[in-house]
Amino acid sequence: MHIPDGIISASAAIGGYAATGGLTWLSLRRIKKQYDNARNEIPRAALLTAAFFVASLIHIPLPPVSVHLVLSGLIGIMLGWFSFPAILVGLLLQAVMFQHGGLTTLGINACLMGIPALLAYYIFRLRILFGREKPFPNGLFAFTASFAAIALGATMAAFLLVYATPAYFDAAAERQAVIALSLAHLPVALIEGVFTAMVVLFLLKVKPTLLDGDRP
Amino acid sequence: MIAEAVVTKSASASLLGRWESRLKVPGLLLVVFCFAFVRDLSLLPLLLPAAALIYAVSGLPLKHLTARMRLPGFFLLAMALILPFWSGQTVLWQLGPLALRQEGLLSLLLIVVKFFAILTVVIALFGTTSLPKLTVALRSLGIPWLITDLLLFTYRYLYQLASDLRRMRTAARLRGFAGNSLFALKPLAYIAGTMLVRSHEQSERVFQAMILRGYGNGSLPLPPFRPLPADYLLLAASIFLSALLILLQFII
Repeated sequence: MHIPDGIISASAAIGGYAATGGLTWLSLRRIKKQYDNARNEIPRAALLTAAFFVASLIHIPLPPVSVHLVLSGLIGIMLGWFSFPAILVGLLLQAVMFQHGGLTTLGINACLMGIPALLAYYIFRLRILFGREKPFPNGLFAFTASFAAIALGATMAAFLLVYATPAYFDAAAERQAVIALSLAHLPVALIEGVFTAMVVLFLLKVKPTLLDGDRP
Repeated sequence: MIAEAVVTKSASASLLGRWESRLKVPGLLLVVFCFAFVRDLSLLPLLLPAAALIYAVSGLPLKHLTARMRLPGFFLLAMALILPFWSGQTVLWQLGPLALRQEGLLSLLLIVVKFFAILTVVIALFGTTSLPKLTVALRSLGIPWLITDLLLFTYRYLYQLASDLRRMRTAARLRGFAGNSLFALKPLAYIAGTMLVRSHEQSERVFQAMILRGYGNGSLPLPPFRPLPADYLLLAASIFLSALLILLQFII
């Protein structure tokens, strides 16, 4: 779901940076409001960012291919408003270390992962209505949050690939391409949803405080 | 599994390596954005030599470039299979239901050249700038400390976590875990969960130790900024190149 350099138009790339700048500013403001000393949260956020980075190297077998995890849903669930800066930093490191993902498109890619992560955070918070400690709502909302995050990210990426690249498709073909690209991500979204639910249920048993990314 | 972001000796002694990072990062970023801005096919012959020149003064071996091009190349391959056959109206050549279209071919050419040019400059930039120097440049560009602190800490933990994960997977394999079907999802989820719990507990210990050493009492001052005339000359060259590309874009 990364959009590499050179594919999309410069105006879309700059728009992506502007949106990322705005969302980062908003996240930092929310973080500063939420925590008395935001600096205290950095080691935890950084370790989790690194952990997500490493965990996304895990390949899930989906015969006949294998897919690698995106984890934007789980990042949102565990990091709350820290997830947007965390994703931005993770993607920057990826661009620095592997030149993977693109630098001019860093803003766009941060939005493609970060906005779904924030969505997942708010979906997962709905579990409080049904009982914070009960396994069923935790699993259900973790699945929904992660599924929605991947689906949203894939749809946004498909829109960008079709409408912001220098290609001349006719309108019907464009619509079909968006639908096809989004549907192709359906199995990934399902797997990612089940995987996230399993991780959340595991954390609920082992260390439930980790799921309260929203509570200082 | 994870490549280290280290700068080799020859790269740090090169022209780009000696360029003050607080001028190099904005200068080269400007250049890659102007590369991305190119929409005109007639400007393409200018992009590749410009990118090659920047790479030539980076002191990086050619192998460094080709090794890093491989992974994103797959995405390009996918575009090459789609664009020429589905984009545009002018059919150049037809074989049954497959039609090679002119507009698709031209947009593919634009994408491929821009992609290689941008990636070459980005590889030269990051191959000659160490992460601490990059952080200093980002700070001086006005990036908030929360982001740069997060960047340094994340980088610090990456290698350790990667080796943790490797150890856990070796242990799982020794117990007969093959991980080649969908039933592997649960063990893999537990491995990921264990890694998260472990790293969280470790981060709390690290944080306590850091407070003891004075972390959190204001941010550290940046190293002094003493650019040489050559630093400004290189910045002027990159501004010139960017301005040239934008001007030609409007003239042609």
